[in-house]
Amino acid sequence: MFDSNMWRRSLNAGCPCVFRLTGIWGSRAARQCSAPAFPASRITALQALELWKRIFEEKGVSEPRHSSQYIVAHLLGSKTIEGLEPGRLLEFLTPEETERMWKLCTIRLSRMPVQYVLEEWDFRDVTLKMKPPVFIPRPETEELVELVLGDLRMKSGNGDDPCTCLEVGCGSGAISLSLLTSLPQLTAIALDQSLHAVDLTRQNALQLGLQDRLQTYHIDVMKDAETVLSVCSHVSVLVSNPPYLFSEDLASLEPEILRFEDHSALDGGKDGLEVIRQILTLAPKILSNHGRVYLEVDPRHPPLIEQWVEANVEGLRYVETQHDISGRPRFCILQTDKSRDHKLDLD
Amino acid sequence: MCIVKAGKKSQFDLPVLNEDELVEQFVRGSGPGGQATNKTSNCVVLKHIPTGITVKCHQTRSLDTNRKRAREIMREKVDIACKGEKSDILVKKKESVLKKQEKRRNANKNLEKKRRFKEELAAESKLGNNTIQND
Repeated sequence: MFDSNMWRRSLNAGCPCVFRLTGIWGSRAARQCSAPAFPASRITALQALELWKRIFEEKGVSEPRHSSQYIVAHLLGSKTIEGLEPGRLLEFLTPEETERMWKLCTIRLSRMPVQYVLEEWDFRDVTLKMKPPVFIPRPETEELVELVLGDLRMKSGNGDDPCTCLEVGCGSGAISLSLLTSLPQLTAIALDQSLHAVDLTRQNALQLGLQDRLQTYHIDVMKDAETVLSVCSHVSVLVSNPPYLFSEDLASLEPEILRFEDHSALDGGKDGLEVIRQILTLAPKILSNHGRVYLEVDPRHPPLIEQWVEANVEGLRYVETQHDISGRPRFCILQTDKSRDHKLDLD
Repeated sequence: MCIVKAGKKSQFDLPVLNEDELVEQFVRGSGPGGQATNKTSNCVVLKHIPTGITVKCHQTRSLDTNRKRAREIMREKVDIACKGEKSDILVKKKESVLKKQEKRRNANKNLEKKRRFKEELAAESKLGNNTIQND
């Protein structure tokens, strides 16, 4: 389709992806990306899409077609290709659009996740700013929010006082901000041990006009349990997508995750339960009576968590396990039950 | 056979879809999923078994939103398939088409009236000394 005449000039010196990459991953990724030549004559959006799809395929970049499609759509002001006007793809790109396409796709060549390349992504009905190394929300977590919403809607339907929910490990703020958007009466507290995450959550809250209903704190739940307890008490809901991967599984993650996302948002220790155990230990002290905990976990975790809580956490009982759309056990729901606090029993 | 159940409506009185009659397909892969994966493909393909209708939705970058929208679209399509011309969706569509036609006719009428008025004014001013002023 393209003859050699189109490749008359190549991108100028310096890979554009260098200024986009952060921290320890920067230099290694920069060496790996090589920019294909900029087209000399005009091309249509569709031609650019197809061309870069082929380049991604050749270079072994995952999801070559989707990567190319999302970048083109974003360039043309749409979230997805399907959202474009019919025929839009057959129009020629302006020189500025072509340059931007080349710039964004070159960055994708370094295996940077599409969400970081576009600096934004959607989570349920909100669009959030994305920035490495802050953890990118996964589709499964949208279902976690649905579970929490289902229960909170029932509560508010009973005319109870407005609720507060606490999120541990907020990342970009996806869970809290999505809940706040769906429930006008809700207020939320969000914590993260990463300052990058806290900053990004605050930015997203501002962008969505939710900053007055969300308090964010830079706290490490593993190290500063006392601080956690001092800033939250009597919350109705504790929700978390805590790091739950097994340490030994990290090495086999795809480059998009391994090179660009914060490992401390992923690593749950030897059995993946380190942070989860800490959260569940604190839960009865943070939640009001009959308050609930909603966790996203590894599919191997639910029975382990149920056993562990039964043996180790007074005043917290395991309610149920819910599955994700792939049919994997993914969500654990627990509830405080202060009447079961055996410490109050007389011997 | 098309069984239409009454239920929670959108703006129309659409049938409630039974999840057991729907088969959903989306690319999430056979890997562990969750934090271990970062896949961006979240196109939803939904099939309604009794009617065989298939809906594809990739309007947004949120899987959850695409799933909800696919179901909304499916409800409309199933309604049309079951009720035909009587489906509220088609009825409303026809009404809005007729309204637009009516609007256009009225607009043309008004333009015609204005044109004639101007012509009459022009004719009168030629005949005599008229002091009618235009606003």
